[in-house]
Amino acid sequence: MHLGLTDSEDGLTKTSAPHIPTITILGQPNSGKTTLFNLLTGANYTTSNYAGTTVEFSSGRLHPKFEFNATIIDVPGITSLYPKSPDEQVSVDTLFAINTTTPTDLVILSVDCSQLSRQLYLAKQVLDSGFRTVIALTMPDLLLKKRLEVDESQLQSMLGCPVIKINGRTGEGIQNLVEQAVLLYGTSLFSKTIPVPPPEPTEETVTVLYQFAEQTEEKVIRNLPKTIDLQEINRSVFNSRISTPDPFSIKIDKFLLHPWWGIVFFGMIMSILFTSIFWLAQPLMDMIGGAFDILSATVTQNFTSPAWLVDLIAQGFIGGVGTVLTFVPQIMILFLLLGVLEDSGYLARGAMIIDKPLSKIGLNGRSFVPMLSGFACAIPAIMAARTIPNRRERLLTIFIIPLMSCSARLPVYALLLALLVPRDQPWIGGVALGIIYLTSLFLGTAAAGIINRFRRASGPTGLMLELPAYRRPILRFILRNTYYRSVSYLTKAGPTIVVCCLIIWALTYFPNVTPNVPAAQAVNLSAQELDQWVVAERTSTSFAADFGRMIEPVLRPLGWDWRVGVALMSAFAAREVFVSAMILSLRISDDGDNFQHAITNAMRNAKVSDSNQTLFTPASTIALIVFFMIAMQCISTLAIARKETGSWRIPILQQTVYSLVAYGAAMASVAVLNAFGVY
Amino acid sequence: MINKKKSSDDIRSIADLSCGECAVICKVTSKTLSPDSPCVRLMEIGFTPGQEVRMIAKSPFSDPLAVSIRGTVIALRKQEAECILV
Repeated sequence: MHLGLTDSEDGLTKTSAPHIPTITILGQPNSGKTTLFNLLTGANYTTSNYAGTTVEFSSGRLHPKFEFNATIIDVPGITSLYPKSPDEQVSVDTLFAINTTTPTDLVILSVDCSQLSRQLYLAKQVLDSGFRTVIALTMPDLLLKKRLEVDESQLQSMLGCPVIKINGRTGEGIQNLVEQAVLLYGTSLFSKTIPVPPPEPTEETVTVLYQFAEQTEEKVIRNLPKTIDLQEINRSVFNSRISTPDPFSIKIDKFLLHPWWGIVFFGMIMSILFTSIFWLAQPLMDMIGGAFDILSATVTQNFTSPAWLVDLIAQGFIGGVGTVLTFVPQIMILFLLLGVLEDSGYLARGAMIIDKPLSKIGLNGRSFVPMLSGFACAIPAIMAARTIPNRRERLLTIFIIPLMSCSARLPVYALLLALLVPRDQPWIGGVALGIIYLTSLFLGTAAAGIINRFRRASGPTGLMLELPAYRRPILRFILRNTYYRSVSYLTKAGPTIVVCCLIIWALTYFPNVTPNVPAAQAVNLSAQELDQWVVAERTSTSFAADFGRMIEPVLRPLGWDWRVGVALMSAFAAREVFVSAMILSLRISDDGDNFQHAITNAMRNAKVSDSNQTLFTPASTIALIVFFMIAMQCISTLAIARKETGSWRIPILQQTVYSLVAYGAAMASVAVLNAFGVY
Repeated sequence: MINKKKSSDDIRSIADLSCGECAVICKVTSKTLSPDSPCVRLMEIGFTPGQEVRMIAKSPFSDPLAVSIRGTVIALRKQEAECILV
């Protein structure tokens, strides 16, 4: 899908459909672009990746209330029209219609008037390049707090383009902005100029541009009427008031960026974030899971034939959709909190606090939240990686997120640790779990460090992160963004996940759809037990089982047999499925009370197929834990990595590398344990 | 220009400022003259000679640093901050 815009014909060629103008919202990071976008667009809103890149932009139609048909595009914020990073390159390429067929007809430039000279730098570049531009002056409230205001008409005449003050919270001025844009678009139809990108900036050109910006700033910023302090007749005092950042934010930062309190507060915020996606989402996920179980059971009860079709719908399809939907609560909670942190201005500060250790392994402070979220679930975590502006760091973060020990691995670890740990000393299990989590963090860091060593950054890797003034977030825009993020997950990653779930279902279902029940068995078993027997028999004669037997020679050195292989394959749908698949293949019946003990006992007694060797020895169990820590056993993660990176390259690489490393590490752990006399 | 303690071999960069200290940028320069030099980008962000900067905060590892410039605050890694001489 390319931008969702098909109407990209040149406005001058006579086509039957009228040309719909494209308005690009441009501005520096944190200048209020996204607020403008939200104020200008109606309900239709899509986010897409630029072809073959991870850079995402939003596009939507101008809200119908403005009675003008136009497409609004919100590109990532840029500092200068001369790009320094691949991401800025994409923004600039889009603006100048390089590699795209949608030329920008009009630019709405957001200019934060509380830091006018800095923002006028980009404004001057855009105007000099020949774009038809309307300037939206944002954040007048911040300037007001300093008892200053901008003389719009003066700025308008100095820049030679319309300048309109916008109140992001109330939407005041937005109608006027659109009217000016429509007027400007009308004149552009008669004289079409093709904008030219500026040459590479040098110290001289930057200085000249800033001289203009400073002179302009000095002329257009004035004291609020009636509040002129006598002492501020002195020009230099006045100037320093202009160039002072928001005093309120500086006061807060005395605490939040304090060397010690800053860390304490950072830890608190991150704990809240993590517990929200880890615990708060759980009941919602259980609810969705429960609802789909009921739905699936209803289908099975009410339709009987053909049996395979009913099972396909009940287990394969409904199960797959259920898998997709269970991630939605985590995604929504994470994006809601992330939105609040980002829009309030804290996220940038958190990134600054934690930047140093992460910079050592080629990441930056913004990688922290996605990595932390990875301990709850890789799906929202990979989606959260889009807050990392630098492409290389974003890809690296996405690459290592699956190594973080997600909550779906917890049931697997619980099952396997129950086998290892003596029943009267459960605390050992707790300690072991702690070690598993720490190791996964270590593995992630090591992986990033190694990749960083081999693939050095090509461009400059700096931080240069603006710490915007603290502001009260506009909740309705955050909710809107959260909603569209979830929709985009459902529509773009959802189908892939459902299809993969169906494939796994088919592999464990066919070809022996209705296994023959020996008469001796049928007599002894209750109806429920018989059902379980059929399912177990079907799975153990399925394609997946055939494949499991085929790869058994590879599994044997680790002490596993084909049944573990089948369970591992089933676990691709979701890691926790490993537990139920194992129960199924060992033919353990659910007789209520002592189910947990029944599982552990059955697993303890299980023998490697066709031999007398115990299947779950300490060595083979530890090997399995090690394998689960590293292996990429999750198709949903693959699907979301594909969506977020814009190609299959990263997910395929992750699958291959992590599977091989997981196998190697499992093998190594068996060898080490054997060397110490543990079998 | 504001730097009173400046001696012949003591060139200060904004990385040497203590919290709350103000200074005026005299030069933006990089030790390496590679095309990856952050100088022009730092100037584009607003760190041009003659501008007043103030150290707002230092993160726990004294890197990155938060510096005020032209009405806003920018966090810079130490390596970048060392290019801005005062």
